[in-house]
Amino acid sequence: MKTIPLEAYMAVSIILFGLGVFGTIVRRNLITVLMSTELALNAVNVAFVGADYHLGLADGQVFALFIIALAAAEAAVGLGIVISIFRLRRVESTDEITDMRD
Amino acid sequence: MIQWSAFLLFSLLAIASGMGVVLLPNPVYVILSLLSALVAVAGIFFVAGAELVGALQLLIYAVAVTVFYVFVLTAVPWEKALKKDSHFRVEGVLSFPILLLLYFEMLIVFLLGVSVSPKGKIRELSKQIGNTEVIGGILFSKYFLVFELVSLVLLIGMIGAVVIGRKEAQTYEDHTP
Repeated sequence: MKTIPLEAYMAVSIILFGLGVFGTIVRRNLITVLMSTELALNAVNVAFVGADYHLGLADGQVFALFIIALAAAEAAVGLGIVISIFRLRRVESTDEITDMRD
Repeated sequence: MIQWSAFLLFSLLAIASGMGVVLLPNPVYVILSLLSALVAVAGIFFVAGAELVGALQLLIYAVAVTVFYVFVLTAVPWEKALKKDSHFRVEGVLSFPILLLLYFEMLIVFLLGVSVSPKGKIRELSKQIGNTEVIGGILFSKYFLVFELVSLVLLIGMIGAVVIGRKEAQTYEDHTP
């Protein structure tokens, strides 16, 4: 049986990562911006696991676990910031938060 | 053959759900589409033989983090956000060539780095004793310090989320013009 080459995993990872980056640029709502970063982190996980499968190692899966843990911490802190921004300023669109600009 | 079909199914589902995350207007549809993408990525992990990472992806991401996002979506009233446009359309059109450039650059970097020689020294061991034991052995011997540091980062993130999200005794005055 022919195994799946590394190129296929890398293609899926690159496409998902580009979608995540594009989502962080183009989204207006703060929560959906955070969701797009989660998508980009998952794309990196796919690259790690695919390279692991190709190389026959297990180190990339350990790093994928670390990335999952850090993404959980990032979601907690980021959503806390979103809630406090909404409570203090009553906005949740990214172009209305200009406190540090002017 | 069945491996290829499962991989194609999960990867196409992941890419379609990722496009849904970027393109759909309503935040509830976006969180559902993100959930679908996470489950599809977990399927890709299972196809690649990473059972532990796939199971933890399902447990942590697809359950805990997604439910957390849904809680925040219900806590924040977003009727005002629904009235406005959900995307920066001009910026999206302007940054789309940069996205294509990013794709091109990553393809070039990957084609230059594709000559990595496969080592495969843990594959035999992984066939003998299973994926979870191999990851546990590496995690608690080679990466033990990193493991402890990640637990510290999680603790600090929890404290930071409590401190940031707590209700203030007095709200700060708005001095912006």
